Amino acid sequence: MSWEPEVKEIERRRKLAQVQGGKDGIARQHASGRLTIRERIDALVDAGSFQEQGLATAIPDYDDDDNLTGYVPANYVVGFGRIDGRRVVVGGEDFTLKGGSPNAAGLRKSVYAEHMAVQFKVPLVRCLEGGGGSVKGGGGRKGGTVGEPVFSAPRFRIIADAMGQVPVVSTAGGAVAGFPAGRMVAAHFAVMARQTAQVMIGGPKLVERALGVSLTKDELGGAHIHCKSGIVDNIAEDEHDAFRQTRQFLSYLPTNVHQRAPRIDCADDPERMEEELLTAIPRDSNAPFDVREIVRMVMDEDSVFEMGREYGPSQMAALARLNGQPVGVLANDCRHYAGAMTAEAGQKYRRFVEMCDTFHVPIVNFVDQPGFMIGPEAERNGTIRYGMAAVCAAAQATVPWASIQIHKGFGVATAAHYGPNAYVLAWPSVESGALPLEGGVAVAFHREIAAAENPDEKRREIEEQLRQARSPFPRAESFAVHELIDPRETRPMLCRWVDWIQPQLEELTGPTTFMMRP
Amino acid sequence: MARVQIESEVTGNVWKVEVAAGDAVQEGDVLIILESMKMEIPVEAPEAGKVAELLVAPEDSVEEDQVVAVIETA
Repeated sequence: MSWEPEVKEIERRRKLAQVQGGKDGIARQHASGRLTIRERIDALVDAGSFQEQGLATAIPDYDDDDNLTGYVPANYVVGFGRIDGRRVVVGGEDFTLKGGSPNAAGLRKSVYAEHMAVQFKVPLVRCLEGGGGSVKGGGGRKGGTVGEPVFSAPRFRIIADAMGQVPVVSTAGGAVAGFPAGRMVAAHFAVMARQTAQVMIGGPKLVERALGVSLTKDELGGAHIHCKSGIVDNIAEDEHDAFRQTRQFLSYLPTNVHQRAPRIDCADDPERMEEELLTAIPRDSNAPFDVREIVRMVMDEDSVFEMGREYGPSQMAALARLNGQPVGVLANDCRHYAGAMTAEAGQKYRRFVEMCDTFHVPIVNFVDQPGFMIGPEAERNGTIRYGMAAVCAAAQATVPWASIQIHKGFGVATAAHYGPNAYVLAWPSVESGALPLEGGVAVAFHREIAAAENPDEKRREIEEQLRQARSPFPRAESFAVHELIDPRETRPMLCRWVDWIQPQLEELTGPTTFMMRP
Repeated sequence: MARVQIESEVTGNVWKVEVAAGDAVQEGDVLIILESMKMEIPVEAPEAGKVAELLVAPEDSVEEDQVVAVIETA
């Protein structure tokens, strides 16, 4: 007697578990321009690399003779896959069944996704779409047990722990609400599709019931809301773009905190000197310039991956490569409040530094910092707390750090731009001090100015004297910077630095002493 | 013909208005220069078209997201 009948039954059940919400459910998903979870996984991972876990998980129905009469697949799909040949865990809700609200078998698998990534020490990519728990589920029959055992481990502990162990990416292809919205933000990189995705704590019906306001899903949590709320990093043009961005993001990071970020062969000449860097910063210190162009010219060709462009826009954050080495790039954008650190920029800054620290990615910082943002709105926003959090993140950073003083560097906020033992380069266009001249002179010399016959003229005279005293040369002579450089030398100098930090990076692996949180 | 509202990205003051109503503009042309945190911030035409309305004058203060001009695109 062989086991062939059982083997055939295994095959049959595996097939049944793949049907998702059936033809109608899948057609509805496609009609609104969204992919199904299985299509999402196929679009994300290397062709043929998906190895599902729990191939036959379902909610079965049996008749009195133990014959299978119904078989509803688990509505969470999870498994191993490869991205650019590297191992990942990928999972997501099946929205075609119960709107992704977990059925019993689905719930077990969804909670397992984080456990798998941490246990196997590989990145986790979530393809989210669903509304979380439902009041229909959860409650036990009368007389049965209800709730979780009182001594059970916190269910969300693994979600928190994962962020300190492996890269975590969340993508939203459709509506993500309730607990899945919490999962969405518990990530190092979160991206939503512009047309099809919304992210909400509570959807339109809940909001109308609780607050009496009637809003659509898009009005509550569409891309136009979250590019500025900062709960997602990037907006993707569609789901395929979200997966492309996910693959690019992961390419800069190690597989887990115990490994090194992968350095690749670099086709771009490390000694390349861009002529345009000589004129990139206007001589008139009030005239703005495009710092992204500067970053682009210095980094390896086509290697810059910006995150969170519209959130805290005075601060730019990006992953990039220098001579093939992944680096985190921070740069002030002077076209937004002169690059000042707002409350949002401070939060963006702290999270980015913590992420680089977690994965031991060196930081390169282009400094043009006029200070913390000031004014009534800045005070109402609690700017100084978030700004100091950014300063503290930098002061305790463990990664190699290079700072290039390109323009301004004023006030306490400037301290956020230097990690311990930073390699410091300065361009001739640098201006720095406790306060910018214009405001600083009015404060420090107010008696002299008030006593002068022509106060305005006196103020301008003092400003001019001080401005002349701010020549960049003494900084190099006093070894207050490592080098005062020709801006065109920036790339060669940084590429050489990248070579010198390799032994440090070799030693710098393992979990950090702090744990990054959402 | 579409009317495109142009918003200020920052809070600050209007320093210069570089165009007049009716002027033809190309994408990227500077319409207005704002002053904020001692930086001159250009407000540029997002598309080519004709300046339909200028809603601010030099020394006016502007808020973030305030509409400062309207252009009509072809």
